[in-house]
Amino acid sequence: MTDENNPLIPPMNARQTGAAESKDGFDRWWILVAIVAAIILLLVFMKPDPYQRMILFVRDGVMVTLTVTVSSFLLVMVLGLFAALGRLSKNPVISTLASVYVEVVRGVPLLVQIFAWYFAFPSIVQGIGDKFHIPAFQDYLANPVGMAILGLTFCYGAYMSEIYRAGIQSISRGQMEAARSLGMTHFQAMRYIIIPQAVRVILPPVGNEFVSILKDSSLVSAVAVADITRRGREFISTNFIPLEGWMLVALLYLLMTLFASRIVTWIERKTRITR
Amino acid sequence: MEPIIQINNVKKYFGTMEALRGVSLDVNKGEVVVIIGPSGSGKSTFLRCINRLEEYDEGSIIVDGIPLDSTQHINQVRTEVGMVFQQFNLFPHLTVLENVTLAQKVVRGRDKAEAERVATQLLEKVGIPEKAHAHPGQLSGGQQQRVAIARALAMNPKIMLFDEPTSALDPEMIQEVLDVMLTLAKEGMTMVVVSHEMGFARAAANRAILMDNGLIVEEASPEVLFSNPKEERTKAFLSKVL
Repeated sequence: MTDENNPLIPPMNARQTGAAESKDGFDRWWILVAIVAAIILLLVFMKPDPYQRMILFVRDGVMVTLTVTVSSFLLVMVLGLFAALGRLSKNPVISTLASVYVEVVRGVPLLVQIFAWYFAFPSIVQGIGDKFHIPAFQDYLANPVGMAILGLTFCYGAYMSEIYRAGIQSISRGQMEAARSLGMTHFQAMRYIIIPQAVRVILPPVGNEFVSILKDSSLVSAVAVADITRRGREFISTNFIPLEGWMLVALLYLLMTLFASRIVTWIERKTRITR
Repeated sequence: MEPIIQINNVKKYFGTMEALRGVSLDVNKGEVVVIIGPSGSGKSTFLRCINRLEEYDEGSIIVDGIPLDSTQHINQVRTEVGMVFQQFNLFPHLTVLENVTLAQKVVRGRDKAEAERVATQLLEKVGIPEKAHAHPGQLSGGQQQRVAIARALAMNPKIMLFDEPTSALDPEMIQEVLDVMLTLAKEGMTMVVVSHEMGFARAAANRAILMDNGLIVEEASPEVLFSNPKEERTKAFLSKVL
């Protein structure tokens, strides 16, 4: 598995400016966001039973989903950077370790990884506690939200590292050479020339990762985290309304992902380079 | 007076391939040296050794009295040696003005006003003051290369290296770049130029050099080298380019 031709990263000049962009620069996909929001509001006001009841019931689940997503995303940004720099490192031990991490993590389904963190990891800690008689370890119990964030971070960190790596490598060698030939140090060249350009290249795929984490966070409902999906399922199974219930859950996710995508597009447009 | 560039028996290997097989060259202050040769002859590699963009494996290079032996010395030499690349290598995320001022500020420590004054002056010199606030992507190749020259000159280099500066340009843009280079040569800049522009070499160069297979084959004044070369290899090469 190599990412030599990473499809996530189109060449800078070939980047689509988006067919939905009108002349005054207004991003017309905002209309879709508004439509989805309007449908949700309409359902809630026109048919309070079950929609309003359900919204009130899953409200705290929305907060949990957002907390898990945003925390994981911030940690993924950091872990991914270290893993990417590790893979690019000239030190063979570091680059091998980083590569093994990336390849292993990408080869195991996320749901299985989350199960491993929640069910298997605590028994490892407890085993160590028993062996070395550390009471704190012996009594260790997994915190569902903590393990969910850890699982998502560990998995997405691997994907993110590939995005960073491709971003840094996409800046031509000539840029570093030109900077160095002007007497800049390696650090100055990274700071003023390479990273500002790499950030613009990776922005769209990083934004996509955020949306992916948001969606995949629904998997953590399998390990007792009361996110939108789990709260929704609870409501649905007690009220026997699968059609209305799952439709509302889907609409809530859709509203959040569409909104996030628009924000990414907006940032992307602010930082575009003319070539 | 001691030569400003002293290159002694430089060798360079790419794996087992010998790219430079012992090249020696002295360049005096104010001299313009043009290097020609077939692709793969090592001429670009050789040029890039002078500011250590390319590491060499044996031999020594001394630039303006500073040997290229430590990171500190290499950075010191790089501030004194300007380089112009075949692909321009302008910084696409910065405006033309920022391209020319950035290194002045972070390397030379000049304040913004001073850096911009120098930059404006140089952009006038290369003939595109009106493009100061454009981005490189909005410029033609010839204009980009002239900005690249201004960017290098902004550091007040004592030596300028040109690595095939016109090879990536459309034919109608070559002359505008050569004109800037001619002006520089007339002003007494020390220049080492890898280029097949015979017209420029005849007009500006004190010496022309033919490299082949990692070695200097022949070295003479441009008139002699282009019209009356001694070596068979030079004759064979010239018959193909001219």
